[in-house]
Amino acid sequence: MEERIQRLDLLQHTDTVNELLARYGVKFGIYKNNVFKEQLFPFDAIPRIIEHEEFLFLERGLKQRVMALNLFIKDIYSKKQIVKDGIVPEDFIFASSGYMAECENALPPKGIYCHISGIDLVKGKDGNWYILEDNLRVPSGASYPMIARELCRRSSPDTFHDNHLEDNRNYADLLRRTMDYVNTGGHTVILTPGRYNAAYFEHSYLAEKTGAHLVNGSELRVKNDRLYYVSMDGSLEPVGAVYRRISDDYLDPMNFRADSLIGIPHIYDVFRKGNVALLNAPGNGVADDKGIYYFVPKMIRYYLDEEPILSNAPTYLPFYEEDMQYVLEHFDDLVLKDVAEAGGYGVAFGNTMTKDRKEEFIALLKKEPRRFIAQEVIDFQDLDIVEAGSVIPRKADLRAFVLMAEEPLVWKSGLTRFSRNPDSFIVNSSQGGGFKDTWVLSQ
Amino acid sequence: MKKLTFDYYMQIDYSEVVSSCHFTIKCLPKETLRQRVGKVTIKLSPDVSYNAGTDSFGNGQIYGWDDVDHTTFSFRITGDVCAGLDRREEKIDEDMLAVFRHPHGLNRAEEALSAYYEKLAGSLPADAYEKALFLSHSLHEDFVYEKGCTDVGTTAEEAWKLGHGVCQDYAHILIALLHMEKIPARYVTGMIPGEGASHAWVEIAKDGFWYGIDPTNDIPVGDNYIKIGEGRDAADCLINRGIMHGGGNQEQIVRVSVVEVSDGITDVG
Repeated sequence: MEERIQRLDLLQHTDTVNELLARYGVKFGIYKNNVFKEQLFPFDAIPRIIEHEEFLFLERGLKQRVMALNLFIKDIYSKKQIVKDGIVPEDFIFASSGYMAECENALPPKGIYCHISGIDLVKGKDGNWYILEDNLRVPSGASYPMIARELCRRSSPDTFHDNHLEDNRNYADLLRRTMDYVNTGGHTVILTPGRYNAAYFEHSYLAEKTGAHLVNGSELRVKNDRLYYVSMDGSLEPVGAVYRRISDDYLDPMNFRADSLIGIPHIYDVFRKGNVALLNAPGNGVADDKGIYYFVPKMIRYYLDEEPILSNAPTYLPFYEEDMQYVLEHFDDLVLKDVAEAGGYGVAFGNTMTKDRKEEFIALLKKEPRRFIAQEVIDFQDLDIVEAGSVIPRKADLRAFVLMAEEPLVWKSGLTRFSRNPDSFIVNSSQGGGFKDTWVLSQ
Repeated sequence: MKKLTFDYYMQIDYSEVVSSCHFTIKCLPKETLRQRVGKVTIKLSPDVSYNAGTDSFGNGQIYGWDDVDHTTFSFRITGDVCAGLDRREEKIDEDMLAVFRHPHGLNRAEEALSAYYEKLAGSLPADAYEKALFLSHSLHEDFVYEKGCTDVGTTAEEAWKLGHGVCQDYAHILIALLHMEKIPARYVTGMIPGEGASHAWVEIAKDGFWYGIDPTNDIPVGDNYIKIGEGRDAADCLINRGIMHGGGNQEQIVRVSVVEVSDGITDVG
C-alpha cells in the first residue's frame, strides 16, 4: 500500500486541486466572536483506501444500523413498544432534548425518518471498525469528496485509469432517487438558510448536481394545506419534497421556534397532513443523542432480530448501577461525555483531570448519572498526510453516508476528516481539520 | 350535567398596518367523556379562509395566512357544550402516557420547588388522585392568587419562588409536584363561568382515565368547566399564536364568557 501511494501521480497535483477547490468556493463558514469567516477546507491528496471486501462488510453493517434507527424513531413517535418492553428506559427518551412531542402521531411519507444519515466511524489499531456517532438530523459533508474526486480526475486522469475504484460521482443520483421516492407530487427543492451558512457550498452543489431547485424560506409558501414554490413571475408551483438544510427548531415559526426568520410558517402542518416530504423528518434528534447511542445495538436485536454487524465503542451508562461501579473503578481509562453537548464539547478524559477536578466530576456524575456516558478510549489508526513536503501520520475518521429510498443505499465513498494537530483526537472540520477522498476499491 | 354556552373573543389592535400575518388558533372545545360539544361557530376578522387540523396532542386547531392590510385582527368562537356527563375526563392513550410523566418546559422544578415537595412527601396519601388533591390543598394554602406578577413564560420554579401567580402558575406547580411522585399529569386549557379570560387546570392519570383538578380553586373539575385542549405545559396549548409583517405596537383584548342555559330554553345544541 505504501508504495502504491508513493507512486501516485495525483500527489504531484495537491496544490492544483486545492487551488481549484478555492476557486470553486469549496469553503465552510464559521462564526467566531460574532464575525463570519469563511475558511478553506484543506484537501490532502493521499486517499483513504478501503478494500472491496472490507467495504462490503461496512455496507452490510451500515444498512442494518440505519434500518434499526429508522424503526426506532417510528416506534418512539407512535407505539413506543421498545420503551414499554423495557429495552430503553423512559428517562432516555422523554428527558432528552432530541425528543419532540410535536412529532407524535405525524407519520412521514412512506414511514421514512432518516433519509440521509451520516455515520461516523473509526478504524482501531486492532483492525476493527467502531461507530463513533450517528448523525440523523442534517449531516453534511458528501459534497467535499464528490468535488475533490472530480477535480482529481481532471488533474490526474492516469491515477484513475491505473486504479480500480468505485466512482463516487453517483451520490447525486442516489440522493435524487431518495428524494423522488418520498415526493408527494410536485417540485423537489433544497432549502438553505442562505449563503452565510457553514455548508452553503454543499447546498448549492447538491442542488446543481441533483437538478433540484435551491431555495430559501421566503421562496416557499403554504396555502390550503399544500406547499408551493413562488416562481419569478409570482405564480405558485406545488412542492412535494424538501431536502431541508435547516434544523428542526428553525423550520416553522408557527410550530417550533417563533423567532425563526428562515423557516416557512405552517410547513409542519402540511407535513402532518402528509402533503409534503421533509428530508430528514423532524424529530430525529431522539435517536442520535449520545445517551441513545448506547442502545443502538439493542435496537438492532430488538427490531431486526439480528446481531449487530458493526460495533459501538465500548460504552457505559452510569445510569445503571453496575456501569456506575465500572466507571468509578476505571475512571482514568475512560473518556466521559456529557450527552447534552455536541461538536467536541463536554468531552473529558479521566486521566487528564486534576485530583480536585476528578472529585468534583465524580460528585456531579453521582448526582446526575443520566447526563453522562463513559467510553473506552479507542486507539485508532493514523492515516498519512502530506505536510510541507513530508509524509506524516494523523488521526482520521470516516463519515459514511447512508440514504434510505425503497431500500437503504450506502454511498461507496465517504468523507475522511483528519486532525492537523498531532495531539488531537478531534477531527471536526470547525476545529481546523482537513479532508481526504475515500476510495472504495471495485475489486 | 349542565348545558353551557361559551363565547371566546380575542382582538389585537396594531398601531401600524399589518400587511400579512400567519395565525394558529387552538380554541375549539374537545369532545370528551365529561363534555359533549354542540354547534361551534368561528368568525375571523379580516374574514380570511383557514384550514383545520389537530396537533400532536389531538387538540383541534385552525390556521391560515392573512394577506389583507389590517390594523385589527380578531376572532370569535361561540358554541354550546354539555358538561358534567362523567367524572372521568378521558380514557388514557397508553402510547402517550409516558410523555406526561416527565418534566418539560415550563413545568420544571428546581431547588425551591423540590424542597417544598420534600417537605410534603412524607404526608402524602397513597392514591394518585388523592395525592393530587392533597397537593392542590397545600398549594392553595401556600401560594397566593395575584394577577400581573407572572407572564406566559414563567416556569413553575420561578412562580413558586415569587409566591404569587395565576391559574397557569398553579397548574405548572401542581404538575411539577406530581412529576416528582412519577404521576403522569397534564396541563389543560379551558373556560369557566365568571373568569372573563381562559382558565387552566391539571389532569391526573388514574386507573386508565384522566381526571381534572383545578388547583387555583382547589376543587375537582365540575360540570361548569369547558375543556379546550391539553399538553405538557402552557406552551403546548397556546390559544393563539401568530407572526406578522408590520404592526408596530400591539394591544390584546380577551373576553370570555360561559353561561349556563336554564332548562326552559330549548334552542340549545
